[in-house]
Amino acid sequence: MKISLFATCLVDLFQSNIGKSTVELLERLGCSVDFPKGQTCCGQPAYNSGYVKASRDTMKHTIRTFENAQYVVCPSGSCAYMLKEYPHLLEDEPYWQERAQMLALKTYELTQFIVDVLKIEDVGAKLEGTATYHPSCHMTRLLQVQSAPITLLRHVKGLEVIELPLKENCCGFGGTFSVKMSAISEQMVDEKVASIQSTGVHYLVGADAGCLMNIGGRMKRQNLQVETKHIAEILNMV
Amino acid sequence: MSMKISNEQFPNRLEENIQNEFMRNAVSSAQHRFQTRRAAAAEQLGNWEEWRNHGEEIRQHVLANLDYYLYELSENVVKQGGHVFFAETAEEANDYIVSIAKKKQARKIVKAKSMVTEEISLNDHLEQAGCEVIETDLGEYILQLDDHDPPSHIVTPALHKNKEQIREVFAEKNGYTQSSVPEDLALHARQVLREHFLTADIGITGCNFAVAETGSICLVTNEGNADLVSALPKTQISVMGMERLVPTFEEMEVLVSLLTRSAVGQKLTSYITVLTGAKKALEVDGPEEFHLVIVDNGRSSILGSEFEPILQCIRCAACINVCPVYRQIGGHSYGSIYSGPIGAVLSPLLGGYDDYKELPYASTLCGACTDVCPVKIPLHQLLLKHREVIVEREGRAPISEAALMNAFGFGTASSSLYRFGSKMASAVMKPFGNGETISNGPGPLKAWTDIREFPAPNKERFRDWFEKHKKEGDHS
Amino acid sequence: MTIANREHFLTNIASRLGRSPSKEKPKRIWKYNPQAMVLKDYSQDELVQVLVKQCANIHTAVMTCTVEELPHTFQKAMESYGNGTGIYSKDPRFGDMGLTSLLTLNPALHEWDYEKGNANIKMAEQANIGIVISDITLAESGTIVVQTSKDNGRTLSYLPSNSIAIIPKSTIVPRMTQAAQQLRANPVTASSIHFITGPSNSADIEMKLVVGVHGPIRMTYLIVEGI
Repeated sequence: MKISLFATCLVDLFQSNIGKSTVELLERLGCSVDFPKGQTCCGQPAYNSGYVKASRDTMKHTIRTFENAQYVVCPSGSCAYMLKEYPHLLEDEPYWQERAQMLALKTYELTQFIVDVLKIEDVGAKLEGTATYHPSCHMTRLLQVQSAPITLLRHVKGLEVIELPLKENCCGFGGTFSVKMSAISEQMVDEKVASIQSTGVHYLVGADAGCLMNIGGRMKRQNLQVETKHIAEILNMV
Repeated sequence: MSMKISNEQFPNRLEENIQNEFMRNAVSSAQHRFQTRRAAAAEQLGNWEEWRNHGEEIRQHVLANLDYYLYELSENVVKQGGHVFFAETAEEANDYIVSIAKKKQARKIVKAKSMVTEEISLNDHLEQAGCEVIETDLGEYILQLDDHDPPSHIVTPALHKNKEQIREVFAEKNGYTQSSVPEDLALHARQVLREHFLTADIGITGCNFAVAETGSICLVTNEGNADLVSALPKTQISVMGMERLVPTFEEMEVLVSLLTRSAVGQKLTSYITVLTGAKKALEVDGPEEFHLVIVDNGRSSILGSEFEPILQCIRCAACINVCPVYRQIGGHSYGSIYSGPIGAVLSPLLGGYDDYKELPYASTLCGACTDVCPVKIPLHQLLLKHREVIVEREGRAPISEAALMNAFGFGTASSSLYRFGSKMASAVMKPFGNGETISNGPGPLKAWTDIREFPAPNKERFRDWFEKHKKEGDHS
Repeated sequence: MTIANREHFLTNIASRLGRSPSKEKPKRIWKYNPQAMVLKDYSQDELVQVLVKQCANIHTAVMTCTVEELPHTFQKAMESYGNGTGIYSKDPRFGDMGLTSLLTLNPALHEWDYEKGNANIKMAEQANIGIVISDITLAESGTIVVQTSKDNGRTLSYLPSNSIAIIPKSTIVPRMTQAAQQLRANPVTASSIHFITGPSNSADIEMKLVVGVHGPIRMTYLIVEGI
C-alpha cells in the first residue's frame, strides 16, 4: 500500500525520531512510504489564534502538496483533524472546498490507519515495562479516534498498560495557549503530571507531539524518571 | 451586582484565584461529582445523541421563529390575565420593575435564583428604590448575606465557599450559633427565609422556559424556593432572557429533561413548576398580579450573527463542569457572572471586548464543552470565532503576534521559505540549549521554558533523514 | 392586562432574522423523537415497579396497597410522621378511595376551603403533614403532578413539614412526555402545575446533599391499586 506521510512541522523540526519511527513502522507493516517534500504545517498555529486569512494559504498549500497521494497518514491526531476540517473552513471557496474534501477523505491518523485500514491490531512490537496513555483532546473528541491506540498498545508484548486517572482532562498544551496563558497551562500540566506519577509507570505514551512536548517538558524540568514516548516509537520497538 | 463582577485585570484575577487552594479543591471535587452524575444520567437513556439532536433542533427552531413565539407568548400571557413588558435594555427592565415596586409600595421582595436579573443588576436598582431584596436560593442567600460575594458557578453559585465560611457569615449577620454541619446551616436558612416568604410584598423569579402556546413560565429548582416566591406575595414578576422559550409543553418537557440531567444528573429536579398567569378566581394563594419582563439587553445583536448558536443555551452548566480551565481558575477569574466556556463565549458578546477580550483565549480548544452540551452548541468553535473577530475584524491583536502569525502564514504557504526557515532553526536556537533541550528560550519561547524544557531543534531535520533513508533503500 | 414595547422589540428581532415580523404559526416538524422510546410498551404493573425503584433515588418512602387497604395504609403513613396536624385538598377522589371518614373525623386535619381565605395558608404553615392526590404520575422520575385550583392551594404542597401523596395506579404514565401531552390537551391550564419529585433538597453547601430546604422535609407516596 502506498502512503504519503504528513509528518507535521513539530516532528520535522523538533521530534524527528517520531517521524523515523512512523516510517519504519509503516514500512514494516508493508507500506511504501513517500514524503512529499513541499509539506509544511497544517495551519493550526495561525488558525487557532484567530488568523484565519493567514492560515488559508497554508491550507491550500497542503492540499496541493498531497493532491496525488493515495492515503495521507499523520502521526498526530490534532493535525490529522485539522486536515479533515479544511472543507468546512474553505466552504466559501467551492473550488478549494472540493479539493479539500478529497484530501479529508484520504487522511488518517497513524493508529487509525493501522487498525481501520491495514486491519492490524498487533504490529509485533515488544517492550518490557509499564505505560500509561494520555488521550489527547483533538484526537479523542474531534477526530473521534479513541480505541485504536489502546488496542495497539495492548498488543505490545511485555508492556502493561495502566489507565491514566482523569485521562480526559486536557494537558494544558492548546498550541499558543501554552505560552499565552502559561499561568493556567502550568496548573493543568502539573495536574496531568501528578496523574501520570500516581500510576508509577515507566512510559508516558501519547499520539500527539504537541501534548508530549508539553507534558514531557514539564516532567523533564522536574527531573522525573518517566520517559515520554510517541506511540509510533513504542510500536516501532521490535 | 451586574454581569461584570470585578474591576481587576484578567491576569490579576487569575493570580488571586489560582492561589485559592480551598476553591480549587472544591471545584475539582464538584467537577468530579457533576461529571459522574451527568454521564450516568445521559448513559441511562441509551440514546443520548438523539436527545441532543432533538434539543438542538428545538432550540434552533425557536431562534429561527423567535419573533413569532414571543408574539404568541405575550398574547397568551395577557389572555391569562398577566402583563408583558418588552425591555430592550437593562435600564428599561429595571425601570419597569422599580415602577411596579413603587406602585405597590413594596418594602420586602423575595427572589428566586435568576441569572438574567443578576445580569441587569436588578437588586441594586430595587435597593436604591428603598426595597429590601432577599435571595431565597440557599447558595444565593449565602452570597447575598456575605456582602454580595459574586456567584462562581451558574447552578451552584456558592461553590467556592466552605461550610466554615458559611457558618461565619450566618453568625456575623444573623447571630447564628449552631454548627457548620450543612443540615444545620440549611435549617437556619429555612427558618429565616420562611418568615420572609410569608411577609414579602413582591416575588421575583427568573424563567427557565416560557411556553408560547399557554403563556406559561416554567421554573426548575430542587429547594422549592421558586414555588414559595410565586405562591405567597401578592405580586409576581418573572424576568426572562428573550430567547428562553419553547412552543408548547411538549418541547418544554424535552428541554427540562435535558437540563436536569445535564446540570445535576437528576431525571427531574424536585420541583418543576409551570405557572400560568395570575391566580384564578377563588384561588387562595398565588399572585393577584403577574408581570412578565422579556429582556433583550444585547441578545438581539447576537441573533443572525455567527454567534447565534450561543442563544441555544439552557444554562445547565455542563460545559463549566467539564472545563479543564475552569477547573484550575474557578468562576471568579472570568470577571463575569457567566463563567466557564459559556461565559467565555457569552460575556464578550453581552459585555464587550474591552472587558472580556482575554476570555476566548482562556481555552485550549479541547472540545470537552462541545461534547457535553445538551443542545449541541459548538462552544470551542465559537471561542475560535471570537479570536478571529478580535484579530481580523477588531484588529486588537498585539502587533508582535500579528507579525509572527502573518510570517507564519507566509512561511508555511511556501515550500522553499519553510525549508529555509526550518534549516535555520537549528542554528538560531543553538545558543539556548544543551543540544537536547532548551531551558531558557528567547522571545515567545520564554513563557514556555519558564515552566518546561523545550526540545532543541533536530540536528538533522526529519526530511533530511528521510532522503538518506530512501537512498539507502534504493541501494539495498 | 397590558403589553408594552412589543412592536419595536419584535421588529428588531425579525430584522436580525432578515425579514419582517411574522404572525403565522410555524410548523413544528421534528426529525427526532427520543422521548417516545422511554419505557415504551411497559404495562401498568411494570411502570409501578419502575416508580417504586425510583423512590429510593429521590429519598421518598413508598407503600403500595389496594383501595380496600388504603385507609389502613394511609393511617400507617400518617403515624410514620407522628400524626399531628394536617391539611388536605378538597378532592372528591378522597371519597372514592374510602378516606372521607378518616379525614373528616380527625379534628387535627383540615380540608383546604377557599371560603376561609388566608386561614388555609396559616394552616398549611403550621401543618405537620400535607396530603394531596397526584393527577398524573411519572414512573421514570418518580414524579407526582398536582394542578392547583380553588380547592387545592399551592402552599398545601410546600409549607407542611411532611408530605403524603396518594397515587392512583391509573395515573401512572411512563414519563413527562405523556404528562405534557395530557396537559396540552386540557382546555384550561391551571394557574400552577407542580411536578414534584420527592422532598425538597439542596447541594449548595460543599456539594453535600441536604434533604428538606424550603419545601417538605420528608415525603411518602401511597400507590393505590384498583383506581
